[in-house]
Amino acid sequence: MKHSQITDDLQGQASLYALGAMPVGEASEYVRHLEDEDCAVCRKAVTELQSVMSLVVSTLPVHDPSPALKARLLEQAQGTRHARTPFSPAKRRWIDWAAGVTAAAVLVLLAAVMSDNAELRRLRDVLTARISELQAQNDEQRLLVATLSSSDVRVVNLAGQGSTPAATGRIFWNQAKGRWLFYVYSLPPAPDERSFQLWFVPAGGNPVSVSVFNTQPDGSAALDIPVPGNLSDLMAAAVTTEPAGGVPQPTGPFALLGSLD
Amino acid sequence: MPDQRDIEREDHELLRRMAAKDSAALDAFYERYNRLTFSLVMRIVGNRADAEDVILDVFWQAWQQASRYDVSRGKPVSWLLTIARTRAIDCIRSVARQRTTGDQPEDTHKESPTPGETDMFVLADVRQAVQEALRTLSEEQRVPLELAYFQGMSHSEIAAALRQPLGTVKDRIRTGMAHLKKRLKAYL
Repeated sequence: MKHSQITDDLQGQASLYALGAMPVGEASEYVRHLEDEDCAVCRKAVTELQSVMSLVVSTLPVHDPSPALKARLLEQAQGTRHARTPFSPAKRRWIDWAAGVTAAAVLVLLAAVMSDNAELRRLRDVLTARISELQAQNDEQRLLVATLSSSDVRVVNLAGQGSTPAATGRIFWNQAKGRWLFYVYSLPPAPDERSFQLWFVPAGGNPVSVSVFNTQPDGSAALDIPVPGNLSDLMAAAVTTEPAGGVPQPTGPFALLGSLD
Repeated sequence: MPDQRDIEREDHELLRRMAAKDSAALDAFYERYNRLTFSLVMRIVGNRADAEDVILDVFWQAWQQASRYDVSRGKPVSWLLTIARTRAIDCIRSVARQRTTGDQPEDTHKESPTPGETDMFVLADVRQAVQEALRTLSEEQRVPLELAYFQGMSHSEIAAALRQPLGTVKDRIRTGMAHLKKRLKAYL
């Protein structure tokens, strides 16, 4: 159904879509609304909000890619290479490659066959969404196994502090990939209007907020965290109890603390 | 220094030429936006080796799909950054698959950001306005926006992480985005 004017509810949907915060199935439905139903009101809202986020990106810390990348890109574009392998790490397991190609071929085939039929397009979207969900679940499991079995993983234990002495935390720090898998156990959920906040504590300078989270009723939590490339000399990791939503610098009591020395 | 409208017009022309497989246009488009795009991808992916893989895929996709770009769907830079964010989120979700294949990262050293502007095609006064708009966002609004955009979390995942009702999270996202849009209206 096309909309004739923007409402708070529609603005909310456009915001979620522009931020990529819609679950896959919901996003597929929304795309159908934008494209198949051709809703100009919602599309305008989305494009404006995507422009807003483009402006936000312009405030990020600047990183330069290697100058050699452009030559690789142009070489590929000029047709001197036909395969896409220059863009990927050298050694992909054949089964991943075959699975990817097969999935792509199926989707392309589905797209071609179903492109003129709205009902079948809807079915294609549902199947595509399901494939993405399964892929994401599979990727999470692979990440866990790969990190735990990696030779360059570093394990950091965090101990309960203050009013939560029984709590424990464990970080599996994949140093090559710059990622932390962070697990928390026996840390009772923060009370209403409070959250837990995880901090990187560098040897010099202020703590850096990493993530705001809460534990499950059983006291557990699991986070997958990229370690910013501009952080070095990390001295400790800490979890504090803060106002819900987090704060720029720690103000509350320690719940967990672990040394990275 | 060109103004925003000139830049957008030139971007449209570059995409039109890319659709016609003019590699000089790809060269120019890459020159314009490689730093901006790479900075976003680095923010999400967190390491250089993966970020460089991602950025090549991003510009390759732009090259391949330039003919499908539709002016009515937003600015070229928004289109490019949407591709970049999607690719970067895909990358962090599939990082384990690369590890299990025995791949070694090409370059794992950590680096500090380069001082200076992201791209000359994002004007200094615009950047200043954006920073000011972000400063006036409340923490309750800022955190869900960052979790969604930079960590790829869905609204329900954010609600669980922040231990807040889903409706509250959705409302904060909506009001946060509306606030930014209002503050930045002159640049959209």
